[in-house]
Amino acid sequence: MAPQPATVAGLASGGAALLLFVSEECPTSAHAMRSLGGLCGSWEQAGVGAAVVFEDPLEVAVRVARRLNWTGLVLSEDPPYQTSRAYQLVSVPTLVLVDSRGLVAGTVTGWDHSAVVDLIGQAAGLLGTKLAVPEPAEPLRKPGCSSKAAIDPSLAEAMLSSGGLDELEDMFERGWTDGLPVVPPTRERVDAMLGGRDGARSLGEVPPAMGEATLERVAACAVLAGCRPAYFPVVAAAAEAALDPAFNLHGQAVTTQPAGQLIVVNGPVRNAIGLNSGMGALGPGFRPNLTIGRALRLLVTLTGGGMPGALDRSTLGHPGKISFCVAENEEISPWEPLHVERGFQPGQSVVTVIGSDAPLSISDHRSRTPEDLGYVLAWAAASSWSTNWWPLAEPSVYVICPEHAEMFRAAGWSKRRLREFMFDAVRKPAGQLRRGETTPLVHGADLAAEVPKWQSPDSIVLTVAGGEAGRYSAVLGPCTGMGSQIVSREVA
Amino acid sequence: MSARDYVSPFDERVRAAEPLAPRPAGVAGRHVVLLDIRKNRGAEFLDRLQTHLESAGAATSRSAKEIFSKPASPEVIDEVAGRADLVVEALAD
Repeated sequence: MAPQPATVAGLASGGAALLLFVSEECPTSAHAMRSLGGLCGSWEQAGVGAAVVFEDPLEVAVRVARRLNWTGLVLSEDPPYQTSRAYQLVSVPTLVLVDSRGLVAGTVTGWDHSAVVDLIGQAAGLLGTKLAVPEPAEPLRKPGCSSKAAIDPSLAEAMLSSGGLDELEDMFERGWTDGLPVVPPTRERVDAMLGGRDGARSLGEVPPAMGEATLERVAACAVLAGCRPAYFPVVAAAAEAALDPAFNLHGQAVTTQPAGQLIVVNGPVRNAIGLNSGMGALGPGFRPNLTIGRALRLLVTLTGGGMPGALDRSTLGHPGKISFCVAENEEISPWEPLHVERGFQPGQSVVTVIGSDAPLSISDHRSRTPEDLGYVLAWAAASSWSTNWWPLAEPSVYVICPEHAEMFRAAGWSKRRLREFMFDAVRKPAGQLRRGETTPLVHGADLAAEVPKWQSPDSIVLTVAGGEAGRYSAVLGPCTGMGSQIVSREVA
Repeated sequence: MSARDYVSPFDERVRAAEPLAPRPAGVAGRHVVLLDIRKNRGAEFLDRLQTHLESAGAATSRSAKEIFSKPASPEVIDEVAGRADLVVEALAD
């Protein structure tokens, strides 16, 4: 509803009015609003107009009143606070009773429960009826804060300035956040993000709460995450991929596991929108990577209701559940990129989603043969998921750094060869794996039977990214037991 | 720009809560389906419960979800609903 002016005569037209003067930053004001806010409806039915008068901008007033469940009229006044001055306010909260002639019949300054009850009784007397009074809740008495009307107007103006942060606080109060500040999804921004696409088009329902992912809501999440409109096709493709039932986002969204949703981006769109596949490819510093990954997570969290600590039951989570988007460094890779392995053409732009644990860094500056390096990389995954949980059915994702990739290129190793070498390298006798959490396969095997870490070489996903200097690759363990499959979608 | 002119990321539809089925006074003479979600050791718990239910006079049978991490399929739900007076679903680990 658009803001409308209010008059004391109008408020008191039923016989009397109660005006509660407050300010946002005053805790006593908040206490007064909490105590009285739920009574306004019954007062108004009895003929007593009820209004809270903020010495703050209207948007602040509306936000705070909503948070404190104030059910009466919400008014706002700007400097120099002529209304507050007219009532000779010195502090907030002040509760003022006005009679039908517009005259002040009584006031309570600060919070004093018994005095407030008496003032409401006085109002009831004016109308010859009974009025609801607040329950006695601690603190029964509490001094108020200085009214802005009672201090120097220029100082009051300075206090009023929120530095532009109030809108961001509003986002937190609405719950439209992953814990970090977000970009408010105004209609203008969301329309710009949609870029003429049909916002009503549905990509499906987002588990676990099955909120519908209209393109407009996906765009709202992209705005909240800080995306530029140029990134939106990647966000939409990632959302489509994650909502494919084969990905089992439902299980991932509610599990006690840490799993996040890794997005791997391939093809020309990487360079077109500035995705980083070089130095710090898994880290901070690059808006497209961070905001695209964040947009997908906000979709799961907000539209899907997978809020950590609520339906998201993850015991620890991991930082990739804030944002988890890597672009493959196809230009430096000796191998066909991931999307080509998965059946797409090199010139297609593709996103691939994989349920993944946090990255484990693998330092190797000493290997001089591809066999040594392959062995080091492979054994780094030996403890992924759990130390003795062998074999893993779900994919482990390797991000091979360019210097490591160069060693395999120079030796002429294909992806297939490296994958099979790694699969063969990591084996243990079942007898060594029968401790703590392990698999039925290990329990059923002969003690001397060699058990591999992975069920097949295809459980090892190889990608290339990172800076050209430094010999640090990484392995990302799987999301296990979900029947979650890797899913790819072309970027439209 | 109005402070309230935002596009919500939430699906604001309000869904009516499903009413709870009437609670029986006892299990004797009732058919209880024990639904295994296929999580580790859930079956052990259901085995024990099944013994107790049968000694209390209930008829019992078992059913299972396809996988613990996904909602039960409509086929499983229909099959269980078709023969059960009561259902016990066990979480595990």
